[in-house]
Amino acid sequence: MKKHRIKKNCDPSGKSQTSELLIMPDGRILVHNLTPAFAGLLHELNPYDEQISSRLSRRNGVKADVTRLPLLRSGAASHPSPKS
Amino acid sequence: MICSTNSRLPSIGAYKGNAPGFGLRREAKRHAALAGADEISKSGVAAALCHRSPKSRASVAHERAWIARAMLADCRFCAHDCGVNRLAGENGLCHAGAGARFFCAQTEVSDELELIPTFAVALSGCDMHCDFCITGATSWNARAGTSFDAQTMAARTRAALREGARTVMVLGGEPTIHLPAALEFVSLLPDTARLIWKTNAHGSAQARELLDGLFNVWLADFKFGNDACTQRLAKTPDYVRVVKENLLWAAKHSELIVRHLLMPGHVECCWRPVAEWLAANLPGVKVNLRSGFWPAWHAARHAELRRTVSTPESDRAIDLARRLGLNLIP
Repeated sequence: MKKHRIKKNCDPSGKSQTSELLIMPDGRILVHNLTPAFAGLLHELNPYDEQISSRLSRRNGVKADVTRLPLLRSGAASHPSPKS
Repeated sequence: MICSTNSRLPSIGAYKGNAPGFGLRREAKRHAALAGADEISKSGVAAALCHRSPKSRASVAHERAWIARAMLADCRFCAHDCGVNRLAGENGLCHAGAGARFFCAQTEVSDELELIPTFAVALSGCDMHCDFCITGATSWNARAGTSFDAQTMAARTRAALREGARTVMVLGGEPTIHLPAALEFVSLLPDTARLIWKTNAHGSAQARELLDGLFNVWLADFKFGNDACTQRLAKTPDYVRVVKENLLWAAKHSELIVRHLLMPGHVECCWRPVAEWLAANLPGVKVNLRSGFWPAWHAARHAELRRTVSTPESDRAIDLARRLGLNLIP
């Protein structure tokens, strides 16, 4: 299975935040450790994704600075993945 | 307030000499003696186990943290029951030392909708060895990450709560192997904070009694439906019995959410028995069936785990849950 993965260890200092992605050949994006900021970015890529929308609506006042995040090249559907 | 009858948290009455199975007071004294920690039996144990007046969650957690620290001298926090002296530098199967480390702490929105946004604190190290673990070597390695300082983390947590986090989640790896640090952390948090204990449910009876009443929600995995799959994929014996026992306990002592990560090729051997047991033994319990498996870490060692869960598999799993009347939550 061909996969493209952006992986970076979480920053324990809390100065930056980390989400992990698995972009599937069919365009689905699996996300692990989804932060509010990254949820905001994914929502901009696909405002019709209900799973992301529902999570974004729960964040309320949590700060989401999407300007520091790298841009994704594409994204069709996306949904969060569990910690295992 | 933990002991108040008005409290929504469970009572710690089980510590007043009627705990089923074994006496935590006796255990704590034995462990304190092993650790040479006489002061624990004078203050912490007596106060934590025998008090009759209402106490704050923070103070109870503080006292239990002392007990837990002493118990490291003969560590039996998880069901592997190693009995090593972590205070003396010995390591059990989890390879964890006396001090805790953490590899991630941030606000996230990927957990159950009713729990997010949550400030998730991930402690390094785990007593299981799931080859497909999504955080893999980072979370399994007890020496990975940064030394855990409860004061610093509590300050970050309070800031996260002020900024909108609704809950605080303590996870791993597996947090049970770091009970002293986890309890000390809880002791520094406001009593009003909604706390989530995210666990693999493979802890011991001693561990869960130390946790009794401190966490609002137990978010517990039921990963495997049989011991053969557990042994092959996670190198953990006697898994199913231990998890069932812990889930039954957690349901009585706390709010419980059971998670099952659907694995490719394991709908019949793992999900079906888990689902049937939950339906029969914990009817109505909240169940989160997760279909976002990806072949992480050593998953490729197992042929069936080299892919994600297919749509037909996912549909079949959901259909089974509905037919059994499980209370699925997003």
